[in-house]
Amino acid sequence: MTAVSIQRLSRAFGNEWAVQELDLEIASGEMIALLGPSGCGKTTTLRMITGLLRPTSGDLLFDGMSVVDIPTERRGAALIFQEHLLFPTMTVAQNVGFGLKMAGVNKAEILSRVNEMLDRVELSGFGNRKAHELSGGQRQRVALARGLVTRPKVLLLDEPLANLDANLRITMRQLIRSIQRELGTTAIFVTHDQEEAVMLADRIVLMFDGKLQQVGQPDEFYRHPRTAGVAKFFRSQNFLSGQRRGNIVATGAGDLVVSDGVIDTGDGPVVITARPETLRLSSGLNEQNSLAATVITSIYMGTHTQLIVQLEDATWHVQAPPSTTVKEGDQIFVELPTSEIWIIEDEPESFGVTSVVNDE
Amino acid sequence: MKIDRYSLKEGLKIPLMVFPSMAVIVLLFGGGLVFGLLQSLGYLPVAGLTDFTFSHYVNVLTDPTFLRSLWVTFRIAFIVTLLSTVIAVGMAFILREQFPGSRITTFVFQIPLPVPHLVAASAVILLFAQSGLISRVAVALGFIDAPSGFPVLINDKLGVGITLSFVWKEVPFIGLVVLAVLQSVGPKYEELARTLGANKRQRLQYVLLPLIMPGLLSTWIIVFAFTFANFEIPLLLGQTFPQTLPVQAFQEFQKPELTSRPIGMAIATVIAAITIVLLVAYRRLARYSRA
Amino acid sequence: MSSRRDQQSLEQTGKGRGLSKGHQLNWARWVTVGVIWIVVVLPLTALFLRSFAFRWLFPDILPGQWGLRAWDYTFGESSRVVEALLNSVGVALLVTMLAMIVGLPTARALGMHDFRGKKVVEWILLTPIIVPVLVAVMGIHIVFIKLRLTGTIWGVALVHLIPATPYFVLVMSSVFANYSPALEETARSLGANKFRVFRYVTFPAISSGLLVASLFTFLISWSQYVTTLLIGSGTFVTLPLVLFPFLGGGNAAVGSAITLIFVAPAILVLILTSRSLGRGSTVMGGFGKI
Repeated sequence: MTAVSIQRLSRAFGNEWAVQELDLEIASGEMIALLGPSGCGKTTTLRMITGLLRPTSGDLLFDGMSVVDIPTERRGAALIFQEHLLFPTMTVAQNVGFGLKMAGVNKAEILSRVNEMLDRVELSGFGNRKAHELSGGQRQRVALARGLVTRPKVLLLDEPLANLDANLRITMRQLIRSIQRELGTTAIFVTHDQEEAVMLADRIVLMFDGKLQQVGQPDEFYRHPRTAGVAKFFRSQNFLSGQRRGNIVATGAGDLVVSDGVIDTGDGPVVITARPETLRLSSGLNEQNSLAATVITSIYMGTHTQLIVQLEDATWHVQAPPSTTVKEGDQIFVELPTSEIWIIEDEPESFGVTSVVNDE
Repeated sequence: MKIDRYSLKEGLKIPLMVFPSMAVIVLLFGGGLVFGLLQSLGYLPVAGLTDFTFSHYVNVLTDPTFLRSLWVTFRIAFIVTLLSTVIAVGMAFILREQFPGSRITTFVFQIPLPVPHLVAASAVILLFAQSGLISRVAVALGFIDAPSGFPVLINDKLGVGITLSFVWKEVPFIGLVVLAVLQSVGPKYEELARTLGANKRQRLQYVLLPLIMPGLLSTWIIVFAFTFANFEIPLLLGQTFPQTLPVQAFQEFQKPELTSRPIGMAIATVIAAITIVLLVAYRRLARYSRA
Repeated sequence: MSSRRDQQSLEQTGKGRGLSKGHQLNWARWVTVGVIWIVVVLPLTALFLRSFAFRWLFPDILPGQWGLRAWDYTFGESSRVVEALLNSVGVALLVTMLAMIVGLPTARALGMHDFRGKKVVEWILLTPIIVPVLVAVMGIHIVFIKLRLTGTIWGVALVHLIPATPYFVLVMSSVFANYSPALEETARSLGANKFRVFRYVTFPAISSGLLVASLFTFLISWSQYVTTLLIGSGTFVTLPLVLFPFLGGGNAAVGSAITLIFVAPAILVLILTSRSLGRGSTVMGGFGKI
């Protein structure tokens, strides 16, 4: 059942499009991450979903009903801001109960629901405190409780953990995730941190410049990035051009066997990619999928050794075991396991790295 | 960014930095208050009076003229504060939105702030005197025939002229404080309240008014204290009898009789005492709203 | 996300829910705008016109004759206006300087440090703002007579300093609160001595706040009436003192002319600080106590 349906949603500011033709179906109880660099349109999208911003075109449906003309206060899309924005003159309990009070719920029920929610966010007994008496993490938990207690149709979080320090972020992530699962609330959160998205989301929506790049489960972004941009955002810059014929891609540094699952490009020039952590150092060219490479730098990182190598015209990163003892200038062989090779959708010509291959 | 307390060696630094301004205030202002108090108790060595007495206070506090002045002063200060607040808050709510001309109108709104009170009074006389500009317009429109037909608004019983003069200055003062809140944190809290289901009236009542309250309360105290203790405007625009308290205090003080000075000082001390109460309230408020 | 964009969308979302609410708002808005313009501009314009009017008898709405008679008199020999003007400027500049010397270190201490007794300092600073200065000046009058300070520029400057100091410190302490000592520490580590640090690092950083605070202090001294009346003893006369009798009666044109001179620095200040206006600003709000 689709809880939130985003259909060709677009928003322009003057002549610039902040969000272009966004299509997305979100199932009930799903946790979606809107991921992307600053200015990619994720916050704009969030604000359109709450109703604080009106779309220039497109439609937005909650449970199959269009909400574009319904004002924010009646939509049921609760928003947790980056700044906690607790009402300074109210107690924690009054803050949390605010939405219920606005809805006209009777006092007794407000009290019980507020207390129940405070228990969930592990702030039992904090009801009478004021905002300034709380720590940053506690305030954010109150903000979370305040949004959840109204049983919103969809919970929206705008980089809610950005202002917290690293340790706090980890505990809060777990808390948000577990409560969201328990309550079954459909949730969308905005972040620029891909680690956070991977940890929290059922599905990730990656956006650049207002446009949707890729939607899918977290592992897809690692194993099957659609474009170089997607791969780079997820910290992989390993790309190599080659000529494809069937299941073989011939590159200037050697031939590669690719799996049946890669995208169907037909024969011709393609660009392949493989993540640094999936590569291995092999003993020689006669091993399948081994490419010749020259070591540029070797950096010991504790858990692994980061090798930066030259593969033909391309610079690749390889995550080697920590005990690897290669040095600058060494000639090595890098193995790209068939199952880990993916072909990206970018046009090879526009990619810039042309590989001179003799096509006999 | 705060630096923590210095080590003992540098411990002298802060007191040294703070000393000059403290000395100015404590010596000149505090000293003035103390000397004033002494004089009000009859201690005036230069005139040979070296006994302390409460007789001046008794005189003052039982004098019906004093009580009437006290009432008049209080009433004017109260009305000015009330009127200014209502107008200022209303205007601030209008000005916080952006509309064509809003920026320049906000600028115009603030013009009265650095203008001296006497100038405001001067303008009030020009406009509202019985032979003033508005009266002349009334003649042109056929409402009245002669200056005497125009209501007495200056040196009058109700203190209309005084009130207008103060309100002209205080509305931007209060309005600006409210506007600052409404334009800085106001929008964010309003958005938040909207996502929690609050409609316009609810946002006004439960979000915006509480947000501006602390600022309003502290400006109230300042406006009330200032209006209560102001000398120039009532002197210029007020009745000759009963005058406001500061005017009465000063005029007693200037009288050549020896006994008048202490009486003037006694009235002044009463004024100071009332404002000290307001000062305490102000600090309490600051602590409450900050903490 | 600029608020104007959201604003447009806020209003757009409201569309279609009946026009009456929108119309109500518009009506109230334009009435308010009109009132603000008229109420602020009219008095000042009237003063301006009045000072150029030669004969403006009841019930004429505009002057019968224009002329510079009022201004001739104002700057002439028989009025004390020029003397008062020079005195006003002189004492205001003196007060500003003194306030700076006395107030800057205190403002820095308040804005950048936490120390024992800070609350006490804040209390003391607040007192002359709420408790009227007149009372203290009445009390200290005798002492000033003894010290032969009455009728002198120094005596007047000292009493002006009483209200001026707290305001100066208040404004500057918030300037210092936003100022980071890291800048100075960096400069020191690069070899700058105390004077150079002040000249090249501190001063530029606080200069715009300092300008506002100084203008503020200047205006406070400029606008003082009864304190100057008391301590000036008729010998030392400033502009508001010369103005006052004209307001109570006497030649209204001359009164208006002097008023215009009196209001000139305020207008100047408005122009100088106009960049920070247009939005609500609490620093500017402090000017309300002029």
